[in-house]
Amino acid sequence: MTKEQSRTDYVRGLKFGMPILFGFIPSAIAYAVIARQSGLSALETILMSAFVFAGASQMLAAGMYAQTGILVIILATFILNLRHIIMSTCVMHRLKDTRMPMKLFLSFGVTDETFSIFTTTPESLCSAPFLLGLITVAYTSWLTGSALGAFLSDLLPAILSASLGIALYALFISLLMPNLRRDHRLILLVVITAACNTVLSRFLDASWAIIVSTLLCAGLGMLLTDLKEKE
Amino acid sequence: MLNYKVIVLILGMTLVTYIPRALPAMLSEKIHFRPKMEQFLNLIPYTAMAALIFPGIFTVDTARPEIGLIGGAVAAVTAWLKCPLVICVLAAIAADLLLYTVF
Repeated sequence: MTKEQSRTDYVRGLKFGMPILFGFIPSAIAYAVIARQSGLSALETILMSAFVFAGASQMLAAGMYAQTGILVIILATFILNLRHIIMSTCVMHRLKDTRMPMKLFLSFGVTDETFSIFTTTPESLCSAPFLLGLITVAYTSWLTGSALGAFLSDLLPAILSASLGIALYALFISLLMPNLRRDHRLILLVVITAACNTVLSRFLDASWAIIVSTLLCAGLGMLLTDLKEKE
Repeated sequence: MLNYKVIVLILGMTLVTYIPRALPAMLSEKIHFRPKMEQFLNLIPYTAMAALIFPGIFTVDTARPEIGLIGGAVAAVTAWLKCPLVICVLAAIAADLLLYTVF
């Protein structure tokens, strides 16, 4: 890949990643507010975002910190993040020509959101610089939101922060739609998975339910259809 | 400003978050997927996103399930009409903002 090409791909990644900004800044603010309330200092709150970079886990840790021991939190974080094994496998599968050190570096930035955008973008547009662009937007907005929340938690009007709660769901839905339009069989698969996860999450912890439904329904989809990769 | 317990917590969380992300990167050169397996991997983004959306979207606001439903519906419609991603997300936020202000 030429330098020129890398730059174009990186910029495309930044562009494609913009929707993450609207989801991450409010979520990060929410996380930081909870973290401060449960006794973390502003510096600790921001450092956790810089090192861990996992929204749901940090939210959980911030909530649990005041009540439980750190070993329990670390174990819960591990379980919550097992789904990233699946996501990272899909992402790395699309980076076959990338060198190992770069892959290890990029794997730090695999989140629900970067994974979703990366794996639903046509494969011909996917490359390491493109992923790096997505991650740049995600990481920057996560840190910015954490800092905002840690220092000025009370400035955001309650109604606005409540409305921002829909942002990440809206992102996932908007990523799914064009694919459902393209291949109607996927609608069935999505409905089955949604039902499966709704039922499973009554019996299992939410993070386990997501892992089981994702794998189970993808397996089912593989058996039922002969979905050909587009392009 | 830094407490010893919190440093251990952050380092521990960093480790258990990074390992699941890095493992596939380390193994990716050793594993070759068969076509059936590729098909399976190609379906995972859709099932993963479906599972991330449902049932979580009903509890965006635990007291008002319609906040998640209507915001989600607005995102679905705008995306179906091929609006850019940013517009879909902003439209969903605007719809919920409206719901909170009016009702």
